[in-house]
Formats: sequence, structure tokens, C-alpha cells
Amino acid sequence: MATQVRSHKAQKVLDRLSKKLNRQMVGSMIACVHCGMCTESCHYVQTNPDDPTYAPAYKADQIRKIFKRHHDWMGRVFPWWVHAKTILTDEDLEELKDIAFGKCTNCRRCTINCPMGVDFATVNRMVRGLLVHVGVMPEGVSVVSKDQWEIGNQMGVLKEDYIDTIEWMEEELQDELEDPEAKIPIDKPDCDIVYTINPREVKYDPRTIADAAKIFYYAGANWTMASEGWDMTNFGLFSGDDDLGGTVAKRVYEKVQELNGKMLVISECGHGYRSTRCEGPNWGGVTLPFDSESSVDTMLRYIKEGKIKVDKTKNSTPVTFHDSCNNARSCGLYEEPRELLNLVCSDFREMYPNRAENYCCTGGGGAMSMGEYTPRRLKSAEVKANQLRETGAKIVITSCHNCVDGLNDLIKHYKLDMGVTQLVNLVAEALVPPEKAVPAQEPKAAATLKGYKILVVDDEPDTLTYLTTVLEDNEATTLQAADGATGIELAKKEKPDLITLDISMPGMDGGEVFARLREDPETRMIPVCIVSGKPELRGLIYDKPHRPPEGYLDKPVEEETLVLNARKILELARKQN
Amino acid sequence: MHESQLLHFAAHRLQEVALLIMATVYTIRLIWLFRFKAGGDRQGRTGRFSTSPQKGALYSLANIAMPWAMESTRTKPVFWIQFALFHLGVTAAITLSFVIPYAPSVLNNGLVVFGFQAFIGAACLIGCYRMYRRISDKTMRAISAPDDYFSLALLTVWFAFGVLAAPNDISNGEGIMITFFMLTAFFLIYVPFSKIGHYLYYPITRYYLGRSLGYRGVFPIQKSVKPQKVAH
Repeated sequence: MATQVRSHKAQKVLDRLSKKLNRQMVGSMIACVHCGMCTESCHYVQTNPDDPTYAPAYKADQIRKIFKRHHDWMGRVFPWWVHAKTILTDEDLEELKDIAFGKCTNCRRCTINCPMGVDFATVNRMVRGLLVHVGVMPEGVSVVSKDQWEIGNQMGVLKEDYIDTIEWMEEELQDELEDPEAKIPIDKPDCDIVYTINPREVKYDPRTIADAAKIFYYAGANWTMASEGWDMTNFGLFSGDDDLGGTVAKRVYEKVQELNGKMLVISECGHGYRSTRCEGPNWGGVTLPFDSESSVDTMLRYIKEGKIKVDKTKNSTPVTFHDSCNNARSCGLYEEPRELLNLVCSDFREMYPNRAENYCCTGGGGAMSMGEYTPRRLKSAEVKANQLRETGAKIVITSCHNCVDGLNDLIKHYKLDMGVTQLVNLVAEALVPPEKAVPAQEPKAAATLKGYKILVVDDEPDTLTYLTTVLEDNEATTLQAADGATGIELAKKEKPDLITLDISMPGMDGGEVFARLREDPETRMIPVCIVSGKPELRGLIYDKPHRPPEGYLDKPVEEETLVLNARKILELARKQN
Repeated sequence: MHESQLLHFAAHRLQEVALLIMATVYTIRLIWLFRFKAGGDRQGRTGRFSTSPQKGALYSLANIAMPWAMESTRTKPVFWIQFALFHLGVTAAITLSFVIPYAPSVLNNGLVVFGFQAFIGAACLIGCYRMYRRISDKTMRAISAPDDYFSLALLTVWFAFGVLAAPNDISNGEGIMITFFMLTAFFLIYVPFSKIGHYLYYPITRYYLGRSLGYRGVFPIQKSVKPQKVAH
């Protein structure tokens, strides 16, 4: 019988496996008794009860098989007896990829429900790392990792865009506070706090930066942001690539040291907190000479120390709190956000289960960047949707940007009447200005979109009317296109300053329209803001090898959000031109 | 009535040899496991300061005796009771394999014999149920290897003979006693090579998980409290 030759990639995975094994990992490989106690702890299992391939023990076994065949005595001598099996082909690796990336969000819920203490999530992360090492990974993981390696942040935000956004938020802050001295300092040395953020805040949610700045302003904090090494997120956690993890974490640490900062404060982000606060020093092999904490701790401390005053009646809408897996289950950060919530909200409703036992938002583990698994993800999200619905809350609060996206997706998919926000927004909303800082004046008129020509492309007549009306109310000139082909034609002919583009349209979808706009030299430089009600189709845009869109908004989009984002995009484009 | 040479050999020398083999293999296994470097924590600790690596490790190790600690056991108390009885049965059967050759007079007390039979018998019934579950449940089938079935079958049959051997009565022949001791010896030798050896790894996996999650303020786990139903 001919012996099958092992593929180069499969051999490399086996070689690397030997190097990645540590005592805890080996323990998790040999200790499972296949009791099945972990099965129902997994949200994938709960929503796919007839498919045993989602069971954590089954998923872990696909990795254990390989370990047993090459490292365990019974597996080496009697492989069939313990289901040990080697990997030979690239197809074997693809099967592993499907499990490691597509059937697990590394939420660690099975780990805390395993009587034997088997840490499957950690094993799964290791497998992801082995696969990434040989280039076997979902395209989204590859794209994001590349951005983080090369550009320095996982959303490919360029330095000038980052600085522009900070300056824009500083202007907003000065307008709101009516104090030209209200600053968002960049690279200020010797500060008490170096504040790091998620690039999503720059790209999609700059309001959180302004809100954090407002809190620091009211607290009289000596703080700064960094011009580089400002991204506290770390795709190494999701991809299992410790080299990337260590490099990214060290960029942040080195900048804090360069600025001689006393404390690194990490904005609300589950995986960012875990990576930067907990895992980064291990991956990077460094010991930090400064303290670090979550911004949740910082805000809570400010209130406790009387540095800021809050009025909880300002947030009276019923809210619930979603614990990020990385915060709660891997870093023990779950009482602090509750304490803070109870100080800034008047109607907080606990969801069940909660804290370290909470269910994943289903967008964790990098799942939001893996478009090919979106249907599975949304199906598994039913568990979370039921949990949310049960609370009767109108807003779900979470201290994680990844969860914000994951929850927004499932809220739309399951048609829940809820919004998602973060603690920083609630705290900023509840702030009571110091006496001297509240001159009773009329608010300044908001800046308009006067002089800008905006093309709205959307097949839904109601949305088309709504978007154009809002833009026109803010003095923009608008053009309308009810399908992709007309949109492209108008873009070429009218050269608008901005295009808002729906994704899901009959005929030519938004992905195709976007690609054509980016490929055509006449329209390539026109900024595009995606306005879509189907986040699961995001891959149609972001998986393309083009410059990403300048903005992304979820439908239904509020007037203020639309105008704010349109203005931001237009102002940035103007500065760049 | 005197025991035959075969029974004497099965109850004494065979057990000693089997125990020696088991201890040797276990030692080799532990040396192998401890040759892998243990991962550590460089970062500052997180989470509640009422927790610590020591508390976390202790909680983690004691977890098995706290059915309320994990959601998986908290919500399935019957499963946990099965687990407890099954392992008490294992303990009773092992004890019996020492009592019969070294302290047979203990079994003159009918109550003691009944106690052994009750625990081992319960474990035997649970073994039967577990086999049924492993065969009938799609997920259990998908995660089971031949070793899982064989180990469970071995224990269940061993329990059955344990129940019969507990009175230590050879007046009707030595077949049951010899089979019990033969099975015990086989069990002892097979254990380190099979899933039954999990109790050797249990303290290690749970210690490290507990130490890490204690350092991060997760262990001991704050149990989810179900909120009171409110009219929204």
C-alpha cells in the first residue's frame, strides 16, 4: 500500500505544535473524559442540537487526535483505540480551520463548565495560531492581521486620519463645553494617563472619544493620547498568533514608556483589555514598569473620588448589561461595570445568566471579520437574543466594541427593539458640569452640510426619501439613485462630494457598485459611506481588495448620526485634498 | 474453607505486581507531563482583590465537591449525584480489593458487606445507564472512542463482580472471587493507558486553571443570580 506523503503545510503544523505545547495545554489534551458536561454550555450547540460537531468536546477532539497520534503513547501505538489521527493534506487543515475559526468564538464558557478543567478555548486559540502560521485562515483574519502588522492598527486607519479625527473631536468638545482650552492632547509627555483606544472608535464611533475626553476634562485629568501605538486591540488574541500579539502589545507599552506615562488606560474593549492588560506581557515577554487599567475602573474611581459628579436620572431608559467574555470570563472585570452602571442609570436590569457565566455576544473571537461564517454566527445568536429579550430593556450596555457590533447584528437579525451603547456614553451623558462650567447659554447652531453635493443610493423609497430629506435639511445638495447602475452613472456625471450606499439592492448589489466606483479613476476618490440594514453582508464590501469605505452606518440611522458622520467624512476629505 | 493457590495468587501477588506496574507507569507519565514547561503570568493581577492564585487553585480543585459551583452541575443535580455515586463505587471496589486479602474479618459484619454492595451496586447501575447514554446520545457517540466504551464496560463488569465478591464467601466456588481479582489486576494495569487515568491529571489541569483564573479574579466564580421577574 502506498504511503501518503504529508503536505508541506501539514508538516509545518506538526512541527510547530511540538513547540507550542506547555503543561496546561498538554493537560487539556489528555484530561478529557468525554463526559459531555461541556456540551450545553456552548451557544453553538444550543442552537444546533442535532449537530454533534458543534460540541466543545468534539471540536477539541479534532485537535486532540493529532496530539495523541504524535505525542501520546496510546495514540502512537493503538491510534484507532483512542481515535488518534495525523494530518496529511491541506484539506485536513481546511477542516481544522472550519472548526477553529468557524465553530467557536473562544468564549471560554465550556472551560468554566468542564469538571476536569480542560481549557478548550486556549487549545482552540493555539490551533488557530498553528493554522495562521501556514497561511490557513479566513480571508478576513488575514486582512485584519496584515493591517495590524503593517499599518499598526487592525482597521488600517492611517495616522493622518487618526489625528484628523482626534482634532475634529477636540473641536466638537470645545464647541460643546464652550471652552477653547478643552483639549485632546496628543503625545503630551509625563502624563498621569495615556489613553488608548479601539480603531473602531476612530472609524465608526468617534463620539466615544469625545465622551471620554469630556470625562477627563471634567475630572481635571492630566492625560494624553498617543500619535502611534494608540491601538489597544490585538488581533493576535483572535488569530492565535503570539508573535503578532507580542508585537502589537509592545507598540503600546513602548509608547507609554516613551511618553513617560504613569498609567495606561484602556478604553472599553473586551479583547483589547485582555490583550493589553493580561496577555500582552506574556506574549511580548516583558514586565511593565507602569500600571494599566480599564477605563471602566478610571470612570468609577473618578466618581468615587468626587472628581466627577453624575446624575443617574439623566439615563432613565431601561438598560441591561452584557458582560464581554474577555472582560468577565478571562479577566474578572464584571463587578466594576455594574457598580458604575448603578451610579449612572436609574433603571438597570440584570440579564441571566451574567458575569462570568454570561453567553458570548456571538461576535467574539474575531467572528465579525469572518464573513463566511456569518449565517452560523447569527443562528447561534438566538441564545443571546432570547437573553436580551427577557430583560425588557431598551438599551444593552457593553464594555466591548466587538460586542457592540455583534449585538447590533443580532438585534437587527432577531428584530429586537433595542439599542447598544457603552458605559463611556452613559457616564458622559450623566455628567453634572461643575458650577462654573455651566453658563446658561443657548446651544450653538450645529455646523451644516452647506455646499456639499451628496449622492444617495438606496433601493428602498422610504429610506431614499428619509436620507435625502435629512441631508437637505442640513443644507446639502442631494442626488438620488434607486439602483446601483444609476448610482454609478450619476457618480461619474455629477462627481458628488460623498456617496451614501446601500448594500442589499436588487440587480447590482452595493458590493459590486462599491467595487466599480473604486476601480474607476473618475470615481475612485469619491468618499463612500455604507448605510446598510444587513450587517451580515459587510463582507461584500470589506472583503474586496479596495480601499475601505470612509464610513459605515447601520440602518435605521438617526439624523444626528448621519449628519455627524457625513460631516466628518467630508471634512477629512477636504483636508486631505 | 481455605482458598486455593490460584485465588491466593490473584488476591495477593497479582495485585502487588499490578499495583507496581501502575505506579511505575504513572511515574513515567508524570515525568513526561512535567517535562512540558508550565505557562505563567507576567502581568499585574486583575479582577476582584478578594481572590488570589491560591484561592483560585483551591476553589478549582474543590470544584468537584461543589455541585453549585458550575452551571453544568448546578442545573443537572441528578447528573452530579450519579457522578458522585459512581466514583464512590470505584473507591468502594478498590477498598474491597484490599479488605478481602488483608482484613477479611471486616466483612464478617453483614452491615459492612451491605454497605460495600450498596455503593458498588449503585455504581454498577449507573455504569449501565452511562453506557446506554453513550450509545444512544448522538453527541456522546460522536465524542466516544473505543477506549471510552471499553473503560466504562470494564468498570461496570468489575462493579458487578465486586457486588458478588463483597461477602467474601467461597463456599459455592471461587470463580467470582478469582474473576474479581483478575479484573482488578487488569483494571490497575490498564488504568494509566486509558481514560480512567484522568484522576491523575485532574489535580494538574484544575490547579493551573484555578491558579490562572484566581489571579485574574474570575475564580471563585460569582454565581449568576436569576433576577426577579418584573412586569416591563
